[in-house]
Amino acid sequence: MMTEQVIETREFGEVVIEDEEIITFPKGLPGFADAKDFVLLPLEEDSPFLVLQSVEKEELAFITLEPVSFLKDYEFEISEATQELLKLESEEDVGVLVIVTLKEKLKDMTVNLAAPIVVNVRENLARQVILDQEVYPLRHPLKPEPARKGSA
Amino acid sequence: MLILTRRVEEKIMIGDEIEVQVLSIDGNQVQLGIEAPRSVEVHREEVYRRIEEANVLASQLQGLERLEQVRIENPEDSEPETEEEMEDKEEKSE
Repeated sequence: MMTEQVIETREFGEVVIEDEEIITFPKGLPGFADAKDFVLLPLEEDSPFLVLQSVEKEELAFITLEPVSFLKDYEFEISEATQELLKLESEEDVGVLVIVTLKEKLKDMTVNLAAPIVVNVRENLARQVILDQEVYPLRHPLKPEPARKGSA
Repeated sequence: MLILTRRVEEKIMIGDEIEVQVLSIDGNQVQLGIEAPRSVEVHREEVYRRIEEANVLASQLQGLERLEQVRIENPEDSEPETEEEMEDKEEKSE
């Protein structure tokens, strides 16, 4: 039986979530070791942005993107420790998100490719992993398109 | 905190499986060799701290409404750049 709960979110007010939607970070995230349970909420219909909202802490939320939607050649190896922690068995279980940092000017926003979030989409377990920062930048510039313009 | 004094080539053991060896000392730089099972992850502390700081910054920023209607270009040539490359570009554009 599916159980629901109402959570307070930073961006959307009260949201009803199903327990099955909860993504658990067994080790929390760097800087937020206690924040273990999150849900992914689309920013709006058709938006590429997903809000990773803490279930327990209303004020804690990250803006994320699926790197596959805007980057090619973003590849990394998932360590054995992470595979074990997330109970990963096959590539099909793997989902990846990267965290967006907004700046004062929208065009200056960046994504953190040095520490992507790896999700076991089958088990809803996740971890933010740390990659080699000489290869993967902590602040990779995004190229946002302000509204939908006519095709160039 | 446990404090141990070691000479070059001497090791310490952490538990049964982790060995840390002092390989060389040059002024204030110490080279360490670490042998640990693959399930143990080893990071330079400042790398971890940088990720923490980036997370705190990313979590604080408000103003998500600015992202409404925003789409991300899908540039064919958008490959990850290292910080050095980004800095190079910034210098050139100045």
